[in-house]
Amino acid sequence: MDENINNQSMRKSFGKSLLYTLPMFLLTFVLMTGGRPDFSDRHGTIALLITFVGLNILYFLMHYTGKTDKLRAVLFIVFALTLSFTLIKNMVDIRQTMTYSQGDILECNMPFCHLVIPMLILPAAFTQSIIYPGSILGGFASISAMVVLWLGASVILGRGFCSWGCFYGGWDDGFSRFRKRPVIRKIGDSWKWMPFAVLLMVALTSALALTPTYCDWICPFKAVTEFEEVTGIESAAKAGIFISLFGGLVVVLPILTRKRIQCSFLCPLGAINTLSNKVSPFTVKIDRQLCNDCLKCVQVCPVFALTKDDVKKGNVSIFCTKCGKCIDACPKQAIHYGIAGVPASRMVKFSRNIFLFVSFLFMAIFASGSIITVVKSFVNLFI
Amino acid sequence: MDKIKMTAGMTWALVCLVFMIVFYFGLGSFATGFSKLPFMKLNPNTSGGEVAGEVVMDNCTLVIRKPVFEGFLGERRKGFVQVDWRGEVSENINDTVDFNFDQIPDFIIVINRDLNDASLIAFNPVVKDIGLSAPTSYGWSVRVRINK
Repeated sequence: MDENINNQSMRKSFGKSLLYTLPMFLLTFVLMTGGRPDFSDRHGTIALLITFVGLNILYFLMHYTGKTDKLRAVLFIVFALTLSFTLIKNMVDIRQTMTYSQGDILECNMPFCHLVIPMLILPAAFTQSIIYPGSILGGFASISAMVVLWLGASVILGRGFCSWGCFYGGWDDGFSRFRKRPVIRKIGDSWKWMPFAVLLMVALTSALALTPTYCDWICPFKAVTEFEEVTGIESAAKAGIFISLFGGLVVVLPILTRKRIQCSFLCPLGAINTLSNKVSPFTVKIDRQLCNDCLKCVQVCPVFALTKDDVKKGNVSIFCTKCGKCIDACPKQAIHYGIAGVPASRMVKFSRNIFLFVSFLFMAIFASGSIITVVKSFVNLFI
Repeated sequence: MDKIKMTAGMTWALVCLVFMIVFYFGLGSFATGFSKLPFMKLNPNTSGGEVAGEVVMDNCTLVIRKPVFEGFLGERRKGFVQVDWRGEVSENINDTVDFNFDQIPDFIIVINRDLNDASLIAFNPVVKDIGLSAPTSYGWSVRVRINK
């Protein structure tokens, strides 16, 4: 019964949902086709249309069902899987392997990802230069384009970037949904400060060594993107660390805890994005008058952003990634997307509509390139 | 006060909405503009340093970079000099390099490309050993560790 009240409150009629989807429909079409649709490549056109329709169905369903998290997760997980596939495919096309060599580092043609950003800040400030062996502008995943993308998204979405923009988060998110109930329930809340320690460590070591130490030694996602060619003990140790961390923090622990463990306890960029939550106009709010303290939100939050005390105070902590899981789970409809400065329970629908539009548009366009690549590969196989 | 906060919040949210719509259309220009910022250049430790000189040989060109000693806060005592062979590089490299252009050879570098084996004969006392030696798309590159 409670579940129905929740669904009905945010869900819209079929016609109204279509109307709300129309701007997304137009914008995604223009942005995905570059404003000049070219249908000369048959397989490319099929892949584009499948992706375009799929994205807009998801957005339509967010309005029609009133649910956010599960639909967001579909795109988020697909984004992570297709991005890894695209990256590996790109590596294999260029280098015939998913490992990179010393020569690739010397030539500075390593693709750049947003997780490197925390390591660039201090050297950029003190040496006026970038310490990552990638391309500043142009080529595949240039430093400039990725930093601008992350900056823009972080200012607008805050730590919402971690649930709506990060192309690795879908791995954690996906594995955290494998089991219906967690095996490990009690996890110390203080672990969520760990990413700040990691951030401090990698920022300092990278500055002192003038190399991106997190990428070189820690990043679990090297296991599903690219890693250094194993040529000796050091590179073998690195590969071992990447695979172990991926297996432990991204696969096993999320399955056992139903939490995004890597995102919550390791990611240094997540720590920076936590701070950017202070800048973003979009928040999640708790209406204390409706809340019955069932603490279901605390239980389902995948990133430890809610505690019993937070709920009692009616605050959502800065660790929130705005995934919408607590909103969908709340039986009393006491939690909702909000806008900074606007009190809880006011302009609830407007806040959700505007946040969904902004965040979904960002993820849809960011993800569309890799999804199209993968869909096209499948189309090539079957048609 | 509450009304001011609400208005400010709403305005900021609407600005973000407009910015997100414009964002992807202008991404190319934003990225180009961002790349022109003073710190958007590769650190010499990453890029290998600026080209100091070139020696044109039979089938390839020997590119000698400026020695790199840049550290986080000032210069380091230990650095490297990068040497690139560009073009049709022979199977066995055996070249004498004068990286400081004082007309006195600083080291001889011998590379067997098939075995990926590199060795160094140092004449200049600041030259230590080979840091990196790897094939590249343009030929071969070596970083030789040096002291100041």
